[in-house]
Amino acid sequence: MKRHPLFIMLGCLVVVLLLSLSLGQQTVNIFDLDPLQLKIVLELRLPRIVVALLMGAALGVAGAILQGVFRNPLADPYVLGTSSGAALAAAFGLLATQGAAVWLVPCLALIGALTTSAVVVFLGRDAWGVRAERLLLAGVGIGFFLSAILMLVMSLAQADGVKRALLWMAGDLAGADWALVPAAAVLMLTGFLLAMSRRRALNALSLGDELAFGLGFEPGRERMLLVLAAALLTAAAVALGGIVGFVGLMVPHGVRVLVGADARRVLPLSAVGGGMLLCLADTVGRSALPPVEIPAGVVTALIGAPWFLVMLRRGIR
Amino acid sequence: MSGLVFEQVSFSYGQAACIRRFSASLTKGELVGLIGANGSGKSTLLRLGAGLLSPDQGQVTLDNRPVRSWRGHERASRLSYLPQSLEVPLPFRVLELVEMGRAAGRHQGRLSAVEVLDMVGLADKSGLPLAEISGGERQRAFLAMTLAQGGSTLLLDEPLAGLDLRYQYELLALLQQLCRQQGLSILLSLHDLMLARDLDRLLVLRQGELLADGLPGELLQPELICRTFDLDPAAQRSLAWQQAGRW
Repeated sequence: MKRHPLFIMLGCLVVVLLLSLSLGQQTVNIFDLDPLQLKIVLELRLPRIVVALLMGAALGVAGAILQGVFRNPLADPYVLGTSSGAALAAAFGLLATQGAAVWLVPCLALIGALTTSAVVVFLGRDAWGVRAERLLLAGVGIGFFLSAILMLVMSLAQADGVKRALLWMAGDLAGADWALVPAAAVLMLTGFLLAMSRRRALNALSLGDELAFGLGFEPGRERMLLVLAAALLTAAAVALGGIVGFVGLMVPHGVRVLVGADARRVLPLSAVGGGMLLCLADTVGRSALPPVEIPAGVVTALIGAPWFLVMLRRGIR
Repeated sequence: MSGLVFEQVSFSYGQAACIRRFSASLTKGELVGLIGANGSGKSTLLRLGAGLLSPDQGQVTLDNRPVRSWRGHERASRLSYLPQSLEVPLPFRVLELVEMGRAAGRHQGRLSAVEVLDMVGLADKSGLPLAEISGGERQRAFLAMTLAQGGSTLLLDEPLAGLDLRYQYELLALLQQLCRQQGLSILLSLHDLMLARDLDRLLVLRQGELLADGLPGELLQPELICRTFDLDPAAQRSLAWQQAGRW
């Protein structure tokens, strides 16, 4: 019984992958390709799909971690501003090196994500600990501020770098290529394994610090490790494709409806679900209104923002 | 002396002294109530007992060692602590909660999740999310989690607060049964003096000091109640009058 949701999601993932390979500016039958179509599928669509899967998976898991750690169902790397922090730091790297240094960008993104997490958590707490509403407001505020700086940097920078940085802001995967995949995959895997190794602590923390302590965990230490894991994942996602919002917000919710709140199941399934959602969003974005391409981040925001409002309306319990 | 022992414990948040030279110990198989006005230090005392706070003076020992010197899981297998506020924003299910408690206690011979759920009468609700069960059942689900840890000492902060009278008595009966049959020692804080009557022993706190330690029948007298809660003479007369009928 417990395995069922995983199989269902993997089945859906295969369907999404097939759709994603077939659809785009030009619809192809992937089981019967001519050489030109093969080139399109292998050189344009495949890297893009891989990037979308990795990025979506990283965001889904990061969201699941942050929601548990901060006991707030509205937390995710985008809402808490960590995506913006990572993007700003990474944009400096891109502009400085013209995109040459493959490892520099993810590492800068990590530094950006960590710094932003620390600042947001600092602003989000009072004498009694981290407060749900305060944390969200701090995240949104910091996110606005960092986005504004990013835009300022872009408007001051040379034209070539600007285009690249602009794509980051909107979460456009059109520029996806293999170059950044290895470095981002390493960050992502590290973050995922770190989170999985602390899955029991994540469960305990989502019950509150006092209960977590009663269950034998050291809440401060565990929270730091888990926020580090979320920062690694966010940095990986941002390095791959910039800022994409709401994946980390929606996916863990959907997964919890399927399998309950236990992090041992929620973390891996959020990875599958996140990859699937972003891949689907990107496919919709590039095939809905040809020849125009809608950035994947815009598609997720179009779905995610109303979702956010519905969640808000239901109340932060 | 095994179990939980407070020895001359003092604690303050900043300047204001909160607990002053408090000494008491829990005997095996005993259901002990902690009584006192708001702000008298009940919750602080339970936090000190759980090792969440460190005493400024004196010490709290669990099985002959300072409670904070135990490693996390060693402590969790000996002592369970249930705070007052049990807000869970994520849709955990009853069984998941109990499994968390079970995973926290490491020693052999602890009960299975199913046995614990049976004990608290939630066997048929194990698959339900916490949001879909009643307040009384939620409280029992959390109690099941702490029982699953397998320790012999339970510290419960206001476990009866916010429950209907029927659930209060049910939960209290369950706690009594656990003390008698499993030999647990339970220290719980509570407000309701009517419920306090049914406990084995009471510790009465006033402004962080132990005012009295003894049997409920001896302690629940109008004079002591008025001192504990700083009631005026009129209230004292009313209490004496009520006691003639009810207590």
